[in-house]
Formats: sequence, C-alpha cells, structure tokens
Amino acid sequence: MTSIGTGYDLSASTYSPDGRIFQVEYAGKAVENSGTAIGLKVKDGIVLAVEKLVHSKLLVPGANRRIQTIDRHIGLAAAGLPADGRTVANRARDEAANLRETYRSPPTLKDLVDRLGHFVQMYTLYSSVRPFGTSTILGAVDKTGPSLYVIEPSGVFYGYHGAAVGKGRQLAKTELEKLKLSELTAREAVIEAARIIYLVHEDAKEKEFELEMSWISPESGGLHVAVPQELVDEAETKAKEELASGLE
Amino acid sequence: MFRNTYDSDNTVFSPQGRLHQVEYALEAVKQGSAAVGLRSKTHAILLALKRSTGELASYQQKMFRIDDHVGIAIAGLTSDARVLSNFMRQQAMSSRMIFNRPVPVNRLVGAIADKAQVNTQEYGRRPYGVGFLVIGQDQSGPHLYEFSPAGNSYEYYAMSIGARSQSAKTYLEKHYKTFDDCSLEDLVRHGLHALRETLQQDKELNINNTSIGILGPAATHETGVSGVGAFRILDGEKVKVFLDSMVPKETADAPAAAAAAAPAPAADEDVQMEG
Amino acid sequence: MDHFPTNWGRPRNDAWDPYATYPIHQRPNNAPKDAFADGVQRTQQPIVTGTSVLAIKFKDGVMMAADNLASYGSLARFRDIQRLHPVGNHTVLGAGGDMSDFQYLQMILDELMVDEFAAADGHALGPAEIHNYLSEVMYARRSKMNPLWNSLLVGGFKDGKSFLSYVDLLGTTYSASTLATGYGAYIAQPLLRRAVEGREHELTADQARKILEDSMRVLFYRDARSLDQYQLATITKDGVEITESRKLETTWDFAEGIRGYGAQTQ
Repeated sequence: MTSIGTGYDLSASTYSPDGRIFQVEYAGKAVENSGTAIGLKVKDGIVLAVEKLVHSKLLVPGANRRIQTIDRHIGLAAAGLPADGRTVANRARDEAANLRETYRSPPTLKDLVDRLGHFVQMYTLYSSVRPFGTSTILGAVDKTGPSLYVIEPSGVFYGYHGAAVGKGRQLAKTELEKLKLSELTAREAVIEAARIIYLVHEDAKEKEFELEMSWISPESGGLHVAVPQELVDEAETKAKEELASGLE
Repeated sequence: MFRNTYDSDNTVFSPQGRLHQVEYALEAVKQGSAAVGLRSKTHAILLALKRSTGELASYQQKMFRIDDHVGIAIAGLTSDARVLSNFMRQQAMSSRMIFNRPVPVNRLVGAIADKAQVNTQEYGRRPYGVGFLVIGQDQSGPHLYEFSPAGNSYEYYAMSIGARSQSAKTYLEKHYKTFDDCSLEDLVRHGLHALRETLQQDKELNINNTSIGILGPAATHETGVSGVGAFRILDGEKVKVFLDSMVPKETADAPAAAAAAAPAPAADEDVQMEG
Repeated sequence: MDHFPTNWGRPRNDAWDPYATYPIHQRPNNAPKDAFADGVQRTQQPIVTGTSVLAIKFKDGVMMAADNLASYGSLARFRDIQRLHPVGNHTVLGAGGDMSDFQYLQMILDELMVDEFAAADGHALGPAEIHNYLSEVMYARRSKMNPLWNSLLVGGFKDGKSFLSYVDLLGTTYSASTLATGYGAYIAQPLLRRAVEGREHELTADQARKILEDSMRVLFYRDARSLDQYQLATITKDGVEITESRKLETTWDFAEGIRGYGAQTQ
C-alpha cells in the first residue's frame, strides 16, 4: 500500500493512480481484526458459527448474539464492526420482507443477496458515505435447497460450500477444505464447526471467547434457530478433547 | 490541525480499519461524570454522580424515565441524550399503543444503537456524544444494557460509564458474582461503593450530587412504590438512607479493591461541561 | 442528486425513516405517488364472504369453529375455504366477512410474525397483543373510510390464561367467554351462553366440541349462507390444533311436508 498518505485513500469516490479504491480495502481491515465467523453448507442444511471475543467479564454470557435471523429460513453471521453488521441485517430483513410480499413465498437466498450486494456496493461509490466495515455470511435452506453466500465490503458476493471471515479465516478455510461438506449432515457439521472455531482461536488464546452457533436443519424444522444447548455442549466437549490431543 | 490524516470526518476508514471520529465520540462519553448500573435477580439499579457548575447553579440531570419498566443513566452530551431518550419514549409508547405490551428492553436499546450507527457512516453528521446505561424489566427478569455512540449495545451484569469509570468497573468486576442474590439495600450499597471510586480525591457522595434509579420492589423504607416496582429516580433527601448505609472507605471490606483500582489518568480531569 | 444511500430503492412497505436520524434531516418520501389515488373507490360492500365464527372458553383453553364456505352473494361459490388461521403458537384468528380482506390480514400478520421470529429474543406475541394490533389496524382503516370488511374472533392461550376477543370493521372490540360473529351472533350466541356461562372452568374438550357442533348444526339449518362442512380450532397450553374439515350430521325428513321443498305434488 504505497499510496497510503498520498491523499488517494481518503474517500471511497477516489481511485488511486493504479486503480484501487483504498477506502474499500481499509473497510476490509476492520473485518480482519474481528472474531472469526464460519458457515457450512451441507447435505441437509446450514450451520453458522462465530468466535465471539469477550471484551469484559461483566458481559452476560449468551446475551449478546452475533448471529442474527433474517427470515424464518435465513440466518446471518457478521464479522467486523458489530453496528455495521446490524445495519446490513436490518436491511436484509426489509428486503426479505419485500420479496415475501411481492412473490408471496419465502424468498430464495440468491434473490436476497443479489439485492443486499447492491446495497453494500452503493456505499463504495460516494465520498458522502463510507463502505460497510463488515463481511456477512448468509445461509438459508430455501426451495433450491441449502445455500450459503458471503458479501464483502466491496459489495461483491459469492456462493460457497464452506465460508470463513474474520481474523482466523485462513486457517478456517484450510480446515473447511478438508471436509466432505456435501456428505455431512447438519448435526455432524455442528461438531466440525465447533472444532474449527476452537482451533482458530488458538492463535488469539489470550482473549476469552464464547462459541455461538445456529443452524437450519431437518431437526429445526427448516427454521434458522440457535443450535440446541445439549448439542453445543457435546460439540464443545469434543472440540476441546480434539484440541488437547492435537497439542500433545 | 488534526492529529492524523484519517480523523477529520466519520466517512473515512484509517488504513487499520479504524474510525477515529467514532473513537473520539467515545472520549466525549468519558467527559461526563460517571454512572454505574448493576442488577440482582429481582432488581436493576442505576447510580450517577451529578455535577454542578457552581454555587448558584442546580445539579445536572443524569437519569431519565423512559417507561414504567425502563430507565436510563447518561454520561456525555446531555442534549444528545435528550434526543435519544425522547426517541426511546416514543418507541415505548408506540409498543403500548399497538400491542398493549411494554416494549422489550433489548429491542429498545437495539433501536437507538441502530440510530447511532447511521451517524458513523454518513458525511455531515457526527456520532452521538453520549453513552447510556439502560435498565429494564421484562418476563425474563431485570436487565442492564450499555449503549455507546459506536452503535453497539451489550448486556452486562454490572457496568459503569463516564469519567474515571474504570475504577468503578474494577470494583464491580471484583464483586459482581455476589450481586445476583443481593437485597435491594445491599445492591445499592455496592453501587454507591463503585460510584465512590470515580470521585476526585477531596470529594465525596452526598444527597446533592447522587442520583439513584431503581427498578423492582420497594426497599424496606421506601413508600409510594407501585406493586411490581416501576422505575423511580431518587434524589436529595431520599438518597440519604442509602448514603448512610455506606461503609467508610478505610474500614470497608474492600480497601483492596480501592487500592487495586487503576489510578485515574492525569488527563482525566473533572472537566466542567454539560453532561 | 441524493447522496444518502439509505434513501434509495427502499422496500415499499417501510415505516418512515427507520435508519436515519429524526429530526435533523427531513428525508424525501420515495414512495411512488399513485396517479389515480383520487379516482379510487373504496370498499362499499364485501364481495366474497364467509359467515359466522363461533368460539367458547373451556377448562383447558379456547375452542373455535367456522364452516368452509365462501359465498359470492347468495351463490355458494367456494366450499373448501379455511376461515380459521393460526397466528404463532398461541393464537387463532377466525374471520367472517370479506375473504380477500381476510387474506390481506393473514399476510400482514405473517409479516409481523416473521419480524417477531427474526428478533429471536424470546418475546412472543400472545393472543392479547395480536388482538390489540388487529383492533388498531381495523380502527385505522375505518378512520380512513376504507375498512377491512370483517368481523374477527381472536382466541388463544398463553402463560396459563385463556383469551377470547372480538374486533370488527369499525374497530369495535369486546370480550366474553362465548362469542359469535355474523348470523351466529343472533342464532348461536344464546345457545352458547346457556351452555357455557358459569361453567368455563369445568367444560372438558369433548363437551366444548359438542356445544360448538350443535351450534354449527343449528346454524346450518337456519343460515342460508352456511355449509355443513366446518373446522374446529383448539388452543391450549399445548399450542394450536386445527382439525381437518368435518361434516355435520343432519336430517331433512321433516322437510318432506313443507311446501316449497323438493318435488311438489301440487
């Protein structure tokens, strides 16, 4: 980033001489600093998991959720500035409701991220706004089956089998690539997701964290809800065991 | 003129992905006098230190009632707080009007957080310069939230904001595990002890500079409180009983806590300003 | 050029200004203006209609009944229409009156329940809240001289309490342990009162079912806009259960002797 400080990086409406938009890249930095979030698209559902860094022991455990529900069958996990994540999620709810009203059926995730990508992209065009400092993973089970997308601060979005954003994304992606995602059940994917989050947290061990997971599966009746506590407990126990044996 | 290239307005990310204007707004919260909030199984309470601009002036208002089941304490710019608390009252009334139900507290705090986020993203605005502690009660019991100008809101067992709030936080972190089973009287005493940590050397809490906000059933000496214990703000003579219950700092069982409290940074002077 | 992206391409049903900061900027309202707004005629009468809805309290909750007919004037036009609609896990809405208005209400309630589900914070809307919401909607529409042409019963069970209330196209509301809309308000309500009042905490589900079935039968005999196929909704602590369509047992032997019925000899 040789152009830092040359004045070409102060506005989303300015290109640098070599054709980059630095403000969008800086927004990406806000995402890189935050706790890892991952999404898994498997045979019969979707699993979302986040590494929620706990900045104070006075926080009420489990109360401050980072995974949000957009529609009955759509979930969203955001990494980056939490407030920006909420704004994107609110917009996603509005768009989902609008699609529902227009077509009188549950929206497909593809239609939703198409609109949401446009919304995020608009914030990369003008000096009067800044881009969103958040990457969002969206997962759904709709009439086309399970689907998973990531929207970047630039507004670009891609579909994934397994997705990871935030600080530990590189390691998480490597781990996701080892899995046969299309053969896993959602229940199995919960165990894997917990393991990956515990694994990537190893690099930031000095900070406390809380594992937060949601899913859309046959067991949840196609609804996006928090993973049942007993399954989370089971997954966490296994993740810790695996970690301990791996470290020996 | 500016401290760096990236802090002149709120639509600019620094190369590290930080928003300096938002961070400066968080500093504005620290300019205000401290507020403390904590909760037990049955009660949620707020305590705040009020400032006065001089002998001839009254003390500032640090607490606002939003609805029977919600109250806030503020630190920072009072005028911003009035705008936001007005909005919260409208939300609370609208919930009662449309659904005949008290507005869920988490949604109320979320709503002002979402409002605050907009002010961190659009040119020509500034982030709000005020932080809130919000206490509220619903079917799952009493709650305490912190709202900050960054557009974040978090639920806590206990929290403090404002000038030298770190010292109060240190006290709260030491004791918060016992709060759950506290009586209202004990809870208020803990709150006052925490608030005392934020005082300057020669100052102490008195009936003029202390406000207490309570949500939950009445204390043993309290009168005129509705059955479930709607939010009320105690000022003046009404806080005397609670102040008298405080254990002097030297003999308190928590002198260690006081000593362990991070010494207030020198820059953190008791600036006389609105809020 | 409007530089504030929150103003662009807003979904049409947005409440005004949810993201921005009141009152600093007055934001333009982007909703398209209907060029024909002045020429629109509002509902003067219902078109496709449902008849009575009956509901009673019993010891475990609330039971509601409505037949499956949607009439077009005096024509029995649709005979497989469900007029009992579950709203969440604690509430059933029963509707008489205009069926397209009822379908609209189902849609806005569904949107509302999606919003509540998305909040995912454990605060569920119960029957009392839904009834209050509907009364606001109905009263607001009548105040615009554009009513939703329905009479509605809201029944439910939540937090150990039964709930049963009425609201209609004028926004009028009332509650009782037995309620009936439409023709049923004249024919069935006295029967329901005699059978239920004072016994709300004793009646079993079987007894309640029998009371409603008998009343539905009387209505089928006397209400020319009714049908002998109907559904029952039961709302208890276990949630909402709506039966498949069932048929009333009726006899018409007595009618043989009535002039105007069947083949006339003279």
